Amino acid sequence: MRSELLPVVWAAVTVGLYLLAHRLHRHHARLWTSPLLLTWACCFALALALHASYRNYLRGTHWLLALLGPATMAFAMPIFEQRQLIRRHWPVLLAGVLTGSTLGFGSSWLFARWLGLSTGQCLSMLPRSVTTPFALDFARKVGGTPELTATCVVVTGLLGASLGQWLVSWLPLRSAFARGALFGMGAHTVGTAKARELGELEGSVAGLTMVLAGLCCLLAAPVLVWLR
Amino acid sequence: MLRRVSILFRRNRWLQAGALTGLWWCCQWLAQALALPVPGGVVGMVVLLGLLLSGRLPASWIHRGTTGFLDHMVLFFVPAFMALMNHHELLGLVGLKMLGVILGSTLVVMVGTALVVELCMRGRRDHAL
Repeated sequence: MRSELLPVVWAAVTVGLYLLAHRLHRHHARLWTSPLLLTWACCFALALALHASYRNYLRGTHWLLALLGPATMAFAMPIFEQRQLIRRHWPVLLAGVLTGSTLGFGSSWLFARWLGLSTGQCLSMLPRSVTTPFALDFARKVGGTPELTATCVVVTGLLGASLGQWLVSWLPLRSAFARGALFGMGAHTVGTAKARELGELEGSVAGLTMVLAGLCCLLAAPVLVWLR
Repeated sequence: MLRRVSILFRRNRWLQAGALTGLWWCCQWLAQALALPVPGGVVGMVVLLGLLLSGRLPASWIHRGTTGFLDHMVLFFVPAFMALMNHHELLGLVGLKMLGVILGSTLVVMVGTALVVELCMRGRRDHAL
């Protein structure tokens, strides 16, 4: 039996749960209280309990997904604020982003192929170290599955943030730039938040690396489509 | 009158977010009309960055709006995640394999990026001395 909620109710439920989770996270910052994880888990459980369909859910909430567009645009602000840093160190940033992107694409593809995942799944995994709005666009263009990509991106962020903390204490890194780039390239948004805890410079570099990696990924998409 | 509007705009993040959404909508339309290979959001980012760098748009006019969008970005991902309702295959071996790929690849990316940047910074420092 299917008992469908009204699409509008789904939108209200999603936003309401998010606001609650956001407040909880502010007072009680843990990995499991991350608003995305909590909101998704609650909505998912509710949808399973009601045997709801995704199409109906999306009918109410597609406008939220559309707002990723303006959110992408908003990345202009961090770039603008860090323009001095870019002007002074652009060769290093570029080298880091190009290395990281190549390694990210290459190693995801090789490992996924090696474990015998399908081409569609491999393509969806390619942009996993890039922040979500860019990764989703990439997946749509290249022919991956956007929802698989979104999952891989978030799992990467959560795993990467913990992995990065361990790596930073283990690798002989003297410069704050290297520590920031490690987090920004490897664990995008979640990593940037972690890098900010290490220091202001680390945080800025991580944020910049993350945005530049996203742009790099978008530029790579037409090339990959052409190669196929 | 203009002054009052300007003050109101600078204080209200909802107005700023609305204006940003409007600009994005125009850029989206432009990207589609010109059949650009990049999405409207990226066109908008370039336009916005151009306006900020040229000094035509003071950063204070949209600072609250952009911060709001970036802070609450995860809310916009929730619908994308809900699509997992249609993917039961992830609960089995495929999901485990994907986890393995993510772990291995993240390790490679982090170590590689950090080492390259570290070497570049050391090189630059030696060069400067």
